[in-house]
Amino acid sequence: MSAELSRLLNALGLIAIGAVLTMAFIDQVWFGELPCPLCILQRAGLIAAGCGIALNIVFGPKPSHYGLTIIGAIASAGISIRQILLHIVPGTGFYGPDVWGLHLYTWAFLFAVAIVLGSALMLLGDRQFSQVQLISGRLKALPFIALILFFVLTIANIFSTLALCGTGLCPENPVDYELFHMND
Amino acid sequence: MMSLPFVLFACAIGAAWLRQRGMSVGFWLVGLVTMLILFRIHVTEVLSIQL
Repeated sequence: MSAELSRLLNALGLIAIGAVLTMAFIDQVWFGELPCPLCILQRAGLIAAGCGIALNIVFGPKPSHYGLTIIGAIASAGISIRQILLHIVPGTGFYGPDVWGLHLYTWAFLFAVAIVLGSALMLLGDRQFSQVQLISGRLKALPFIALILFFVLTIANIFSTLALCGTGLCPENPVDYELFHMND
Repeated sequence: MMSLPFVLFACAIGAAWLRQRGMSVGFWLVGLVTMLILFRIHVTEVLSIQL
């Protein structure tokens, strides 16, 4: 696999993470499902994983960048597992709606596992690392769009979380945006 | 406080954009640690998994 192909696949991976974060926003804004603290931290974990991919796009593929991606995805998976275990016993309730029979935190776990598997598969392509010095410094359209999308979604998460939780910790079961009720 | 990891990850992406790799990884690391600390703060309930 050439470094340029690796960069393209990384861009597609970053777009996939962007798509998941966008869907989370649609669920929050359009359907009014406010994210719980663990849900917010799962988003942060996915962004942590995406940062490794972003480094691959900007600086060219390196094993250490894939390492960052895998660590971020494992952190996100761990947070998802905690939430799955909170509701795993029948009768202990659930958080949020289900999509095709699985709750969003279960999907988040599966997606994090997919990131780890994807990174492991990408690490198998040794040639991408030997060609790093040949990679162009200028980004093509798709990697550029992927980076911009990812950055914008990260910034959007800052404002969304600030609106939802204010300057402190988030309520366990948020019912409204804290920032708009700070003076009540 | 909960938005802090996102701020740090945004800084990591910004530093990468400016081609500051070391700084980017540094921001990423601090963001990850912050995220894990916030996770620990929010995990107060003991799991009761008795089947």
